[in-house]
Amino acid sequence: MLSTVFRQVRRILLTALLGGLLGATLVRLGPGFSVDERELDSRLSQESRQAIRAERARDSNIAMFYVRYLAGLVHGDLGFSRSLNRPVSELLKERLPLTLGSLAYGVLGGVSIGLTLALVTACWRVPGSNIAPAFLAGACLALPAAVIALLFLWMNVPGRWAIALVVFPHVYRYAKNLLVATYQSPHVLAAQAKGLSSSRILFAHVFAPAAPQLAALAGISVSLAFGASIPIEVISDTPGVGQLAWKAALDRDLPLLVNITVLVALMTLVANSLADLALAAWRPEVSRETA
Amino acid sequence: MLKYSLDGVPLLTRGATLCRVHDSPARQQGDTSRVVIFATALLFALTLTAQSTNELRFCLRGDPKTFNPLLVEDENSETVLYLTGGVLVRLNRYTQELEGELATKWKVSENGRRIDFELRPNVLFSDGTPFTCEDVASTVRQLMDPAVHSPQADAFRSANGPTESKCTGPSSVMARFPAPVASLAARFDQVGIMSARSAHKESAVLGPFTVAEYKPGTYLLLRRNPNYWKHDSNGKPLPYLDSLRLDIQQNRESELLRFRRGELDIVNKLDPEMYDRLTAEMPHAVVDAGPSLDWEVVFFNQVAGAPLPEYKRRWFRSDEFRRAISDAINREDICRVVYRGHARPAAGPVSVSNRFWLNAALKAPAYSVNTAQARLQRDGFHRSGDALFDRDGHKVEFSMITNAGNKLHERTLALIQQDLAKLGIQLNIVVLDFPSLIERISRSFNYESVLMAFTNVDLDPSDQMNIWLSSGAQHQWNPNQKAPETQWEAEIDKLMQAQAAAPDSKQRKAYFDKVQEIVAEKAPMLFLVNPNALSAVSANLKNVTPALLRPQIYWNVERLAIGSKLVSQR
Repeated sequence: MLSTVFRQVRRILLTALLGGLLGATLVRLGPGFSVDERELDSRLSQESRQAIRAERARDSNIAMFYVRYLAGLVHGDLGFSRSLNRPVSELLKERLPLTLGSLAYGVLGGVSIGLTLALVTACWRVPGSNIAPAFLAGACLALPAAVIALLFLWMNVPGRWAIALVVFPHVYRYAKNLLVATYQSPHVLAAQAKGLSSSRILFAHVFAPAAPQLAALAGISVSLAFGASIPIEVISDTPGVGQLAWKAALDRDLPLLVNITVLVALMTLVANSLADLALAAWRPEVSRETA
Repeated sequence: MLKYSLDGVPLLTRGATLCRVHDSPARQQGDTSRVVIFATALLFALTLTAQSTNELRFCLRGDPKTFNPLLVEDENSETVLYLTGGVLVRLNRYTQELEGELATKWKVSENGRRIDFELRPNVLFSDGTPFTCEDVASTVRQLMDPAVHSPQADAFRSANGPTESKCTGPSSVMARFPAPVASLAARFDQVGIMSARSAHKESAVLGPFTVAEYKPGTYLLLRRNPNYWKHDSNGKPLPYLDSLRLDIQQNRESELLRFRRGELDIVNKLDPEMYDRLTAEMPHAVVDAGPSLDWEVVFFNQVAGAPLPEYKRRWFRSDEFRRAISDAINREDICRVVYRGHARPAAGPVSVSNRFWLNAALKAPAYSVNTAQARLQRDGFHRSGDALFDRDGHKVEFSMITNAGNKLHERTLALIQQDLAKLGIQLNIVVLDFPSLIERISRSFNYESVLMAFTNVDLDPSDQMNIWLSSGAQHQWNPNQKAPETQWEAEIDKLMQAQAAAPDSKQRKAYFDKVQEIVAEKAPMLFLVNPNALSAVSANLKNVTPALLRPQIYWNVERLAIGSKLVSQR
């Protein structure tokens, strides 16, 4: 178990770091990286303009940037955000709790709504019973996260609930298919024929075999929720990491973008690994089969 | 007296007395006094709470990057500096006249190199330290440190060399710059004086408000400076407001929604569409202060080494071609359709609102397809079918870039596209995000023409030196020229240098009038419109006198007051 955890941690750290650095490379190669909006200020002298360009050119060598970034990371220094004129660690420290809170609300809300509706559809097999949930899920899936955020803004509802609506249709569609398929499997039919109670069938014969996939779904929901949090935080003016990511991308703020990319990769990988570990602890035989 | 003046307290007093009806008279009297004291304290606390709602609320578009007045570069920091910083002189945004603030008198000498200030006595910083001449001298020295690269520092740097700044008396100070600085006194409108001695440095201010709380990404709370030196005509200390809450909010729709709900008192820089929507709902809340100093301009790439086909460079360098395009653009339509009537066709780099520097003889180019066609014919262009061709048979087609997400620009481009189609010119619209656009117009020069907005913060043309000098980096159509590539650019160079060095403002105006005439004749930039300054103001805000110059609504923030109705609601 300990070696599994160690391997997971090593894999997570390496993947997150690699993701962050590849992200940095993409930003570096994108248009407009080396320019600064301040250069358009007609009051600036030639010397000031050169000073701005020199400051900007510091990150233009991507290899040197990686070396500096990794050296700083060893000492706990995440770098300095040029666009917000503050250390990246301070910015993340201020904004991360808000985003984590929103993600917790969004993921829990989305998974709860999705699973509940999926269960209702799977258990209550009356023709037409899935029309309303399927329509709702389809509508939420069709609407971009930004539009959902705008609707919530007009209704004066906190943006975190918009995250739940983004997560819910994905959970619902996957969970419904999974539960319906499990309900139709031979062992469930046999259990029903033996006259087992509905709740026993549900927990012991439907949920248990579907658990690995449902756990993986919860892990994926975290990355889905984080992706949705970017437009939602921007539109609802929530000062979280999503809004920070948007600003960093617009301003080509390399140190900030690298750290946010690493953070997102970490969160996604940790969520997936936690799901795996929980499954391994609960049902080791299924975990081994999945592995 | 108590009964009469304090509603509610007598009842409470009576109730307390009734409960203790069996106590001795002395005890009863003591209890009554305690209850009265308690009630008075409660009422005082309630009064304080009511006062704390005497708060003006509006939005900043983002976090201020610095609270150091000498390093201010971004608009949000400029707003905070305006509200908290004490300056020696202030340009009255309404009358456009320079007025003394911390300086009671000033004198510019040595042909604009030296300025002497007589300082206001008995002024304290917000932390209680006295304001002295040493604070001014030290601020100027810090500002002119070569390591400080800020727009307000560069405004004083007309040449390299040391700057001298020292006290010349107990309440007088001088500053001498290495070369004459145009509008020297007016430049101090942007310089927030810092304390030389206070341990609090940036937080010790001389302006009407001080920074009390800052929650990054959320809000900035400014409280009234208890030591602010100004009083109104009745001797009442200013500012009238207790606090300002600046919510950090980028989303304009959300800002408008909050204004409608009464959560905000001011919305600055409304776009015309929002203005009209608000006019329909709250006609008394909207303010159109008239044409602003900002420009919407089009220019063509005339850079010698730009990656353009040679024949296109020839078009763009032709005066007749540029003027033909200018004549073919219907500016009135842009004002009417895009800006919904809230803009004025622009004649040149000076808005009609800039009363002193405007060359009134110049008029915005009249829309005329015939004039444009005649100019093109004179330049060797000919029409064949629906298309226009140059003398070598190249079809006239070019692209125009603009920044993404700007609806006004996108609509303006659509109108220009239609106008140019009447001449047989095919215009291709390209929308880029802002960093990509800046890279193209200032580094790679990989563009053909561009539509941009220029934000003008100063009345004086000295801030435009970098735009008009051929060696300037902001000489957008052909920047950083080693020597002027055309006669007229050489002429503009001479005139701009002359206006910057001339001590007399009338003489400066004569030079800049000539610059405006050359620009109108050669059309290196096609000035389209000056958009109006549009805002929204709560009906409960008192003493509002909207001005054209930034900050349009709260330029007189120390005299703004919240009406009693709104205070009670809050």
